[in-house]
Amino acid sequence: MLRKEVNELLTQTDPGTAMGEMFRQYWQPALLARELPEDDCPPVRVKLLGERLIAFRDSKGRYGLMDEFCAHRGVSLWFGRNEEGGLRCPYHGWKYDYTGQCIEVPSEPEESGFCEKIKLKGYPLIKVGDVLWTHMGDADNRPPKPEWEFAKVPAEQTFTSKRWQESNWLQAMEGGIDSSHVSFLHSGSLKTDPLFRGAKGNQYNQNDKKPVFEVVESDGGLSIGARRMAEDDHYYWRITPWVMPSFTMVPPRGDHPMHGHFWVPIDDENCWAWSFDYHPTRALSGEERQAMEDGYGVHNQYEAPGSFRPKQNKDNDYLIDREAQKRGETYSGVWGIAMQDASLQESMGPIVDRTKENLVSTDNGIIMARHRLRKAVIALRDKGVEPPGRVTAHQQVRSAARVLPPDQPFKDAMKDDLKVQPGVKQTSV
Amino acid sequence: MPHDSDDMFEADNATREGRGPVDHPTMLGGCARAATRAEAAFRVQYPNSRMRTSRIFALDAKAAEAMYAITEDPWNNAHFLTLSTKGPTSPETQAADLPLSHPDGTRADLLAEIEGADVVVLLAAASDSEGAAEVIARECFERNITCAGLALARGQKAAEVDRVVNSMRRFARVLVVASDDDYIPAMLTAMRA
Repeated sequence: MLRKEVNELLTQTDPGTAMGEMFRQYWQPALLARELPEDDCPPVRVKLLGERLIAFRDSKGRYGLMDEFCAHRGVSLWFGRNEEGGLRCPYHGWKYDYTGQCIEVPSEPEESGFCEKIKLKGYPLIKVGDVLWTHMGDADNRPPKPEWEFAKVPAEQTFTSKRWQESNWLQAMEGGIDSSHVSFLHSGSLKTDPLFRGAKGNQYNQNDKKPVFEVVESDGGLSIGARRMAEDDHYYWRITPWVMPSFTMVPPRGDHPMHGHFWVPIDDENCWAWSFDYHPTRALSGEERQAMEDGYGVHNQYEAPGSFRPKQNKDNDYLIDREAQKRGETYSGVWGIAMQDASLQESMGPIVDRTKENLVSTDNGIIMARHRLRKAVIALRDKGVEPPGRVTAHQQVRSAARVLPPDQPFKDAMKDDLKVQPGVKQTSV
Repeated sequence: MPHDSDDMFEADNATREGRGPVDHPTMLGGCARAATRAEAAFRVQYPNSRMRTSRIFALDAKAAEAMYAITEDPWNNAHFLTLSTKGPTSPETQAADLPLSHPDGTRADLLAEIEGADVVVLLAAASDSEGAAEVIARECFERNITCAGLALARGQKAAEVDRVVNSMRRFARVLVVASDDDYIPAMLTAMRA
């Protein structure tokens, strides 16, 4: 249960809100780099944190992200002409550079300098890995560039997708740190999904549906350990890292690529579910990459080419298949791990009413994440305290899975497994 | 309450790709499209749970101090209990002999306290409480009561926190290490204690 005012504090991210200011402390994934594939390509509409923006790549390869609407008459610059070093409004020819600065107002004398007085709000847009990142906060307080491992390994080792989720960011993110649902909701997919199946760890998941949890604070957020019985009284541990505000990783299985998510607010009732897969030490195989393209693992299929709306969505009841459910192929009847989660999270409503929840002790990962978020938001709002997760060191995390003797705490025994170690394979079962 | 007929009936077969024809109109509230703010207003407002019985045990003096800071808050059916003796407790101690007190200093009986409890929370800031934790957890186990452990790390060295965690590991279904004491009310509120 969460009080109404705390629920509102954590779920509202528009400009001027406390949580919105929190998100604006970080570099956020804004677009896939392939959405702006070449210089002078068509601009792309982007909505983030309740702000409608336009992204483009100018003639010199510089990325721009700025207010979507022309300062003259409010026309959407999605209709703009991306040409000769700027984005030109097609209505009266006003032109903007990649920072949002107006550089041409054809109706006014060039010598008047009028255009210098016009500037759209602009944000930096940088490419790290497959992703274009933006920082929508104070330019004087910009954090170091993103250093997440999935974005730093060579291109052949990583794959990123994104999908539109029709719910608030927080209920989506909370799914990412809720390890106990895996043995139920994803039980069918563990057996069949090409990016999950075949791992020894899957058997432990299936055999022990009552994991024991340990929740430990980390510098950047949390490490959430789920412990299940293995052989010889040993424990199978799966550790999920959460880094503030919205980065989560799924504990790995076998030699499958590792995967994880960012959950980024579009507005209060929609978010981007960013999903990545990478292998720290080898290229993704052709089969793996094809499976990701085909929507397996943490990825999904799309409604239409170029759309980021999933093919399974609330307009078609997520193509629920009750027969597949009866046959045990899927637990909920919905195909695919990503949409199994999304369908349930969207069903909660656009912003779930947490005053009606009945959390139990095994939900402590979620309870602690909310607690840490609330404290960080209030400390930032009231005292200007920098929140965790901004610095490079906090981003050097991995998920891990391992079988340990019963007397070894994961926090100590897996200390190195939970850190990025360049050139070292992930710890997995 | 009047409904707009366009909102009420959604017979758009074209949007239900792959599921075969739908031969009847589907109310918005009867399909997944009901996940809207407007439809959320129709969620029933009746209570969906009965009051829980929670028992919170502070296993050492520091944990008791943190617990006493919140015992006067408005809880549902939570009892706060402390060990009334200092120093280690033998794990062989019989439940009836465990020296427990209510916040007002009156004696409490372990078995009477946990009878019918939904959850037991063990609070610890020192590692010498393993014996008491075992006595309480043993009785909880026999009654299928979930036992959660909360290690309070404020002001503690890492090695001591580890010892606290280790002292509770065998008994807790969930174990949390919290760097600040205000996680106690946050957790108990979340769990409707």
